Amino acid sequence: MRDARDAEDTRLLGTGEIDLLLAGWYETIVDVCVAKMRGPVGEDVAQAVCERLWKELKAGRHRDGKLPFRVVVYSVSSWVCRGWYEPGWQENELFDLDGAAPDETERVIVELTLEQFVATLAPGDGAVARLYYLDGLEPGEIAERLDKKPNAVYQAISRNKAKLMEWLQT
Amino acid sequence: MTVDPEALLDELARRHARGEPLDVEGTLERAGDRADELAPLIEAFLARAPRRAASPRALAFVRSLDEPPLVRARVAKAVRVDDVVDAIVEACEIRLDARAKVRRYYQQLEAGILDPSRVAESVWDAITGLLGRSRALLSAPPGPAPAAAPMYRADASMVLQERLVTVPAVEPEPPDEVDALFLGEPED
Repeated sequence: MRDARDAEDTRLLGTGEIDLLLAGWYETIVDVCVAKMRGPVGEDVAQAVCERLWKELKAGRHRDGKLPFRVVVYSVSSWVCRGWYEPGWQENELFDLDGAAPDETERVIVELTLEQFVATLAPGDGAVARLYYLDGLEPGEIAERLDKKPNAVYQAISRNKAKLMEWLQT
Repeated sequence: MTVDPEALLDELARRHARGEPLDVEGTLERAGDRADELAPLIEAFLARAPRRAASPRALAFVRSLDEPPLVRARVAKAVRVDDVVDAIVEACEIRLDARAKVRRYYQQLEAGILDPSRVAESVWDAITGLLGRSRALLSAPPGPAPAAAPMYRADASMVLQERLVTVPAVEPEPPDEVDALFLGEPED
């Protein structure tokens, strides 16, 4: 399953704009690593993730588009986070381009997107969720846009919050 | 006070939709003892959320990835060399008239010219405190050995039009506190 993120990544890979490509993922990488490592050490880890991805991109890897780049980002982030506290990790050369690449192409990441969450909802709640989670509108703006009463929008948001939690746990 | 993970996740998702910084660390802190429950949900959300546009700061960081680690970390934090120098001067209580010397040493350290293992712990504390990175990650290995000295043709002729002026040799200054901080204590 490919989405709009993949189209832009593929375009940047194709034009060789690998700095823009990685920069687009930088903040996500930091956030993922802070969440995985449960604290500020995540920023150190994120730097290591970016170094590895940068070296790989400069070496021409991932241009074949076998996997969406976001999957590569997530896999490398998971791999570096897991290895961070292994003895000798920081003393040794961090990256081995010829070594085994992380191969956990977690299917769930390829196939699930927030867009799809919206699509799982009933049409009314889905329309609210799209404006709320994807477009960042405030409840009042959503009510106006969808010509709904504010109370109806708040009720839909409340239902969607619970469903989002449930969907993220799948 | 612990905040419900559902409410925190919703806040985070909203910040993401508005293109604001997510503050994952602060969000996990607010979750208190439910942080372990919230963290995987944040990870799952990020793995599925739409791609964000590259910020100027992110682009500057990526473009610094070929630089030595100290430079990368400084660019990532959008900190100037002078800010680091000020932090070192203040933390190590160095007299202000030695600031320029500290700056020179710091720039050598950034460039990988100075051996990081000889730099005092107090200097590293100031740097790591400001840049938010561990010393291990910031310590660039010593730079490559200088290239061999240039060789000149032995038969090269040189005609001096001016009379040579002898200049008295300048007595080197004894090492001071700044030298000690960046080069280690002088050997007796």
